[in-house]
Amino acid sequence: MRLNDCDPGFKHQVAAEPGGEGIRVCFGCAACSARCPVGANRPEYDPRRIIRAALLGRREEVLASPLIWLCSSCYTCGEVCPQGVRFTDVLTAIKNIAARAGHAPPSARITAELLAKQGRLLEVTEFENDKRAELGLPPVEQRPHDFQSILGLEPPPEGGEGEGA
Amino acid sequence: MNPAEIDTPVLIIGGGVAGLSAAVELSRRGLASTVVEREAAPGGRAGEFCCKAVAACARCGACRLGDLLAEAAARPEITLHTAALVTSAEQKDGLWTVELSPQPAGDDAPGPGAPLGERCSLTTGAVILAVGGQVFDPAGKSRFAHGRVEGVHSALELEAMLAMGAIGPGAMAPAKVAFIQCVGSRDAAGGRPWCSRVCCGYALRMARVIRHRLPETEVTFFHMDVQDYGRAWEEELPSLKEDIRFVRAMPGEVTAGEQGPRVVFAGPEGAPVSEGFDLVILSVGIGPPNGAGSLHELFGAAPDQDGFLAEEGPDGLFVAGAAAGPRSLNESITHAGLAASRAAARVGALLEAARG
Repeated sequence: MRLNDCDPGFKHQVAAEPGGEGIRVCFGCAACSARCPVGANRPEYDPRRIIRAALLGRREEVLASPLIWLCSSCYTCGEVCPQGVRFTDVLTAIKNIAARAGHAPPSARITAELLAKQGRLLEVTEFENDKRAELGLPPVEQRPHDFQSILGLEPPPEGGEGEGA
Repeated sequence: MNPAEIDTPVLIIGGGVAGLSAAVELSRRGLASTVVEREAAPGGRAGEFCCKAVAACARCGACRLGDLLAEAAARPEITLHTAALVTSAEQKDGLWTVELSPQPAGDDAPGPGAPLGERCSLTTGAVILAVGGQVFDPAGKSRFAHGRVEGVHSALELEAMLAMGAIGPGAMAPAKVAFIQCVGSRDAAGGRPWCSRVCCGYALRMARVIRHRLPETEVTFFHMDVQDYGRAWEEELPSLKEDIRFVRAMPGEVTAGEQGPRVVFAGPEGAPVSEGFDLVILSVGIGPPNGAGSLHELFGAAPDQDGFLAEEGPDGLFVAGAAAGPRSLNESITHAGLAASRAAARVGALLEAARG
């Protein structure tokens, strides 16, 4: 590793993203890695190594790594972290920076397209609403407009944010 | 203030290493003191610690309690009430008046000192709070399976096992022992962000005792950082690292295996691995004293940011030892000397003022 390849500002950029501020207090104890179910199945996925690389400023290496997209968002890492770092949220911050830099993998793009089209990942069909009616729950609607406005795909509707959410 | 009102120049709450050290230091200065101990016998936690010498003395301080008890018993300036609890405290005209209430003491309470006979009230020029810290209850970290999986013990339990000779040739001879550091320390998420200061030292010393008694036993030391300090460790760490396996990874959990406890931690490649041990020792930290809240209320002392007794309190109130924050035995003795010195100055000033 060459020091010239490191970007000392990268950790501050991560910390400035929503959820990324936890990177400031990590002291690298690896409690997160010890309990990570993804790491248990993909040994090369190591939360401590990812956060360490980000702290060292290995910007391109972190942003271009396919590993950062493997997190299952189970938040077990946050449960065991003595410093209260929510690694899941730190990684979301890193993924947002990566996506803006053009590193989002095809799966992330497909996810975004599904959200823009349906307002949720799973399409709501009569099946779901029948089941909800049996349980006495109100029906849900596909409301893609909220997400379209968040994603900047169309102007926000008149009269405020969302559609009476 | 009338000096004739004073029953005892200094009242010391707590008869552990800190309280006894303060009493002995005051006695050396010619000042009488009264030590109040809650339990039936003085000594506090130090009585549960094992000697950590191997080839030479490890300067752990565990043996200093015996000397202190003997010295306190031999000095006529020291009065020691055991099985006594403080029920109220009031400050008036520069003097503290403290009420004591007897506690059940059992039939054969060992000395020195005698159980408090009946309720009494003592007026004093200075109070030293030397109630000690509270050892972290490992049940508070349930993922480390203390009390749930056989073979998992707190470091305090290991102290007793080593002191009794329960581990060694001819006794229990575990093939593999793991220490897990920072259980109840450096845990901001658990409300305990402080380093307890003593755990790296006692764990490595006890690891060395085990290796000395049982050279075949492998010892693993799971840690976040080695936060030991002091002159000796700089010299000793390299040889310890040859003798003991240092793993810089905080385990995620302890599980029950068929052969004994298993420790789950980030292995050398980063992925979680599970490794079996015969003994898993949880290096429990030191927290604020039990009942710190009521001491704060009784004496009007402010807690510090972590709930320990703040050293800056009302006039005539002093704090000694681990009640003010995590301290080793040797540090508690030094700290108690400081509190005794301040209390002596306070009492001297009161008497000076009374003489006009």
